[in-house]
Amino acid sequence: MLSHIPDCIELVDYIDDGEQARHYLFRLLNLAHSKNKNHPHHWQQVQPGQFFMLNVPSIGEAPFTFTEPPNERGEFKAFIRQMGQVTSTLFSMQRGAILGARGPFGRGWPLDKIVNHNTLIIAGGCGLAPLVTLIDKLTNNSPDKPTDKLANKAKNKQQLILVYGARNKAAQMLTPERARWQKQIKIFNTLDATDEYTSTNANTRANTSDNTRANNSNELRATTVQGSPLMILPTALSTFTRPPTTALLCGPELMMSSAATYLTEHGMTSDAIFLALERRMHCALGLCGHCYIKHQYVCKSGPTFSWQALQQLKAD
Amino acid sequence: MKIYLLDDLQHLQAHLAQDYQFHQVVTNNNGQYHWQQLASDETQPLVHDKPQSSAKGFFFAEQESLLVFNGEYFQETLPTPKPFVLFGVQSCDLTAIHYQDKFFKDDRYYQARRQQCLLVGLDCINPCEHGFCPTVNAGPGVREEHADIVLHPLGHKWLVIEQTSKAAEALQALALIETHWHYLTQRDLTLHQCEQKFPDDKYITDGIKKLNSGTITDEFWQTLAIQCRGCSGCTTLCPTCSCYGTRAIKQDNNAFSQQRFWDSCLYEGFQREASFNNPSAEAGTRVERFWQHKFADEFFTEFSRHSCVGCGRCEQTCPGVIGVHSVMKRITKEGGQENGPEVTHA
Amino acid sequence: MANKLINAICPFCGVGCGIALSVDEKGKLIGVEPQPSHPISQGKLCDKGWSTAYAITDKNRLTQPLKRINHQFFPISWQEALVSIAEELTQIIEYSGANSVGVISSARATNEDNYAAQKFARAVLKTNNIDHCARICHSPTVAGLKQSLGSGAMTNSAKDIFDTDLIMVFGADPTENHSILGGHIMQAHLNGCKLIVIDPRKIRLAKLAPLHLQLKLGSNIALINAMLHVIIKEKWYDKDFIDQRCEGFEHLAKHVENITPISVEAITGLKATDIYQAAKQYSQAKRAMIFYGMGITQYMSGTNNVISLANLALICGHIGKPGTGVNPLRGQNNVQGACDMGCLPNVYPGYQNVDDEKAHEKFSNAWHTELAKAPGLTSLGMTKGALSGEFRALILFGEDPVVTDPDQNHVKSSLKNLDLLVVAELTLTETAKLADFVLPAASFAEKEGTFTNCERRVQKLNQVIAPVGQAKGDWQWLQALAKQMGSEQLNWSNSQDVFNEMTSLTPPYQAMNYQKLEDNYGLQWPCTDDSPKGTAILHSTSFPIGKARLIAVNHSDIDEMPDENFPLQLTTNRLHFHYGCGSMTRNSPLLEREIPPGILFINPIDANKLNISHQDAVSVKSRRGYLETRAIVTNDVPVGLVSMPYHFKEAPSNQLTNTAQDPITKMPELKACAVMVAALAKGQIPKTIEQLQQEPKHENLFT
Repeated sequence: MLSHIPDCIELVDYIDDGEQARHYLFRLLNLAHSKNKNHPHHWQQVQPGQFFMLNVPSIGEAPFTFTEPPNERGEFKAFIRQMGQVTSTLFSMQRGAILGARGPFGRGWPLDKIVNHNTLIIAGGCGLAPLVTLIDKLTNNSPDKPTDKLANKAKNKQQLILVYGARNKAAQMLTPERARWQKQIKIFNTLDATDEYTSTNANTRANTSDNTRANNSNELRATTVQGSPLMILPTALSTFTRPPTTALLCGPELMMSSAATYLTEHGMTSDAIFLALERRMHCALGLCGHCYIKHQYVCKSGPTFSWQALQQLKAD
Repeated sequence: MKIYLLDDLQHLQAHLAQDYQFHQVVTNNNGQYHWQQLASDETQPLVHDKPQSSAKGFFFAEQESLLVFNGEYFQETLPTPKPFVLFGVQSCDLTAIHYQDKFFKDDRYYQARRQQCLLVGLDCINPCEHGFCPTVNAGPGVREEHADIVLHPLGHKWLVIEQTSKAAEALQALALIETHWHYLTQRDLTLHQCEQKFPDDKYITDGIKKLNSGTITDEFWQTLAIQCRGCSGCTTLCPTCSCYGTRAIKQDNNAFSQQRFWDSCLYEGFQREASFNNPSAEAGTRVERFWQHKFADEFFTEFSRHSCVGCGRCEQTCPGVIGVHSVMKRITKEGGQENGPEVTHA
Repeated sequence: MANKLINAICPFCGVGCGIALSVDEKGKLIGVEPQPSHPISQGKLCDKGWSTAYAITDKNRLTQPLKRINHQFFPISWQEALVSIAEELTQIIEYSGANSVGVISSARATNEDNYAAQKFARAVLKTNNIDHCARICHSPTVAGLKQSLGSGAMTNSAKDIFDTDLIMVFGADPTENHSILGGHIMQAHLNGCKLIVIDPRKIRLAKLAPLHLQLKLGSNIALINAMLHVIIKEKWYDKDFIDQRCEGFEHLAKHVENITPISVEAITGLKATDIYQAAKQYSQAKRAMIFYGMGITQYMSGTNNVISLANLALICGHIGKPGTGVNPLRGQNNVQGACDMGCLPNVYPGYQNVDDEKAHEKFSNAWHTELAKAPGLTSLGMTKGALSGEFRALILFGEDPVVTDPDQNHVKSSLKNLDLLVVAELTLTETAKLADFVLPAASFAEKEGTFTNCERRVQKLNQVIAPVGQAKGDWQWLQALAKQMGSEQLNWSNSQDVFNEMTSLTPPYQAMNYQKLEDNYGLQWPCTDDSPKGTAILHSTSFPIGKARLIAVNHSDIDEMPDENFPLQLTTNRLHFHYGCGSMTRNSPLLEREIPPGILFINPIDANKLNISHQDAVSVKSRRGYLETRAIVTNDVPVGLVSMPYHFKEAPSNQLTNTAQDPITKMPELKACAVMVAALAKGQIPKTIEQLQQEPKHENLFT
């Protein structure tokens, strides 16, 4: 449903997480009349990586990703950082407030290339947010769908590794999510700031043998090192039992393009690497023009692009 | 298609002005041409001069309300215009409307206005200042699918070409007498002669080639962009520029209306995000974007034409001297290698 | 779409571009277009012009008079407002004399409004306490050019830009502040005209000009004297012109005899060879024009800076001919007109001195009343007087000195100290917030009148739409107030009446009337019986003072040099997206988006030292104030210099600037002071000045 008109949502709850960031729980108010299972409402067809436009009344709209897609009660979650006017106003709003939401928009992550494929995920800062529903799905953590077939299939065959970079400890986001994933998948955390680097556990030193051992013994725990996500990539890659066939990237564009370049230099094909982009958006309908990359609009052709497609765009 | 010969255009004007809100290009006392609504008893002779503002604002309003929120729910605010006629739209602007019709295909606000409009096109039989419509296949004669009715001047008479059923309906009560097809041949000849009168603009075709060759350097765009102050003049007057911004306008008691307004990709803040990250922070990037949007082949593929319709309004209005003629000349002269794309791929 | 398209004059800067306003069938302003045949703008507009519709159709427009009781405003009727204001004014004058009251008029208002304002002050209040903002932009121009040439206005015309061989842009940023003229300069340069830019910042034109002299702040005179030295030594001056039209050459030549380019290298920070080149190109050009702006005037040495520019043009004979001249770029749309109208404490309309016996008699007779003889207070004089309690009542319109004046804390406390402050405005500006009475003013589109642009062109303004709410044009409410005070002095029936009375008393405007202005896209003064079509080029055969005066002036240091505690130099600049205090331009969602509220330009090397990245929040502190803003890291400013625009009430640069003044014109040294810049914590949002002032810990900084 492509429209300028938002549906009403209620701000149900929020919790703080990280630097000026929160998990928000919203509830769609108009789902009561659309519970027909055979014709699911468009809000119930959200793909991981898609986004919605949040309308903060009297202030404006901005795009945000779902960290949990709408369930049949119409509840969904989003992870939101306080940045500009829209988010600052949102942060000052009380539980019970009425806002608007439009969506879902955009192309999500290419599930057919992820499920049953060894997948490397590289995220920076709040770039982890668009990956949350996906990782949840793949690790069978989707709270509302305990018997997700996709997840069961995936769980058995594929290996998933997450590299998560942040400026410093305070800038690390999505702590509860990472805590629950690290029981199932290997996570490498990197911190830019030198002074913040602390040895938090025995696996701190990132070296191949340690990690192989960790893998083998099924003791998956998070590893934290100082540096950029790029520095940990050799280790992360060698942690895979079989090389990954898909890589998903989300974070600062410079980080993503360096990582993508590294991965292609180390055996991955550019059509197996996917990036999620962030752009200023006003309509999410491919009309207002703000989110352009060359002749395409991120809100429609993206926000996820293959590295191959992006490079073609840049070469044009 | 039906063709008629008309002695007195005023007859047609008065007729249409009775059934429709009637808009036509008129001139004010300073020789400025602009669209104005006229009542059926105040019609004016048709002028052949290009209005400074194209007709795009009739469909894609400069500022308009998208929705209102009353504190409880959101409500669409679709415009409800009465049927209106744009009388004497020139081919460049008609081509732009045709382009926008595709771009705004699913935009309910645009379509609400567009569907109420009867387009009466006007063939140009003389080139206009800065205009180069033949080069970009947008004129001087009105293209077939671009108007409901086409007017073609024949000395003291007018050829009236009825192209759509909407036109047939509008003209029915007038009981015009159909005329001979050979007038269409005469029209073609006149239009051909008009095309010959346009000045040589090989630099535009060369410039388009070069723009699509990937050989223009970033430095070229950066140098050019020193002259761009992001005034929004080009994007405001360009008949195919369609970027918009949105803003909320507070009303009483938690209510607000959401408005959209013409925006410009030349503004530094156009793509800047709340985090201050800006993919097009460099003026050069933005200027390149503008010209890519007008002439890049990728858009051609999507819309079956370039978005530039050759009206030349940007040349007239750019205070930085980087309108289409100036830019294309510089692209062909300085923009990277001397020869076109053929050489660069060798 | 437009139902009507009505021609008007752009209200933003001194260029005076032709715009056409489109109005829908309900009489609502919906858009603007340029005027293709306008002699100056030729179908072009700048970003400010294009957003005119936003500027005046603001939901925050004042629609009725307001009265302040304690800290709150209450709407009242015009009648109630006029009665109260008239009563208080009369009382104050009775107890403290006419010198305790005054008027500050507006360089944004029409000539008619300004004429009415000065007449109100002089003939109704009986004081010469009348001023306007030219004090803080171009009073040194008026003073300096008057001494050197006998007339304080742009000597040539905008069209001369296309009729010259060399343009020297000196301490002005025309592409940003006078965009359309800046564009003309770019175009002329692309067509082959030589371009020299002299400015401490790498302004847009400097990026195009082959020769950019990036001089140190406040070293204008040293540079010009060295150029004079070169020109005289190399005998590149125009001997005939000097002999016939100038006096004082011998003295000037002697004065600069030892001021070689090398000797000023240290002061100016320039290479002697560049100074030599500039002197050579300027003097050797067949025709050469100088454009200058506030980089010349906003110094303690402002008047002398202007005089030395005149020296330069005079000895080369680059004056009085097409494509030459000394051309100040004036800021506000009608700053020229406000000066012409005599909204200055020392002159009547047409620059007739108030202390001149004849002029005094002329105006006393014309207005049938005895006028005050002594020159009045300047705007800074009024604020000073307000602090000490001698000056008690001020009527002010179309200005926002709390944002635009130097050392705002001083301005604010002095305005608060007044017994009566009346402000007429479009919106509730920072200054209006301090007023006892706020009157709703009509915008330029809502009234008839004339504006005089920087090339002395008087242009007719048509009323396009009805005033918002109960808003009134300035001369109309002044008239109503005068009536309320029992005076018939302002009893005109329309703006044409005002204009006609004014032309009868203002010699340079003598032969003008509304019809002639309409017919000719305006007329340039002097427009007299001898020059009924106006005058495009001044001084072509003689100067108003006979021979022009070459006056030797000396370099003097700026008042506040950087030191250990305040290691960086701060200068101010303008952004092409905004205008003045931003009260109009900032209503545009497009222009407002362009720049975060308040910015500081800083060189990458300085930024690096201070650990500041692009768009980071920073604090800026001077001896007078403290504020927070965002850093724009750019090579456009040299190492050691930071620059701030003054448009933003959230972070007004005038919290920091120096009040040291030009001794002649009292022009404050806005262009240079010393500051300390520091990074705020990452992610911190800069606090607005309002927020800062509510914090007790900063209070000591504001005393």
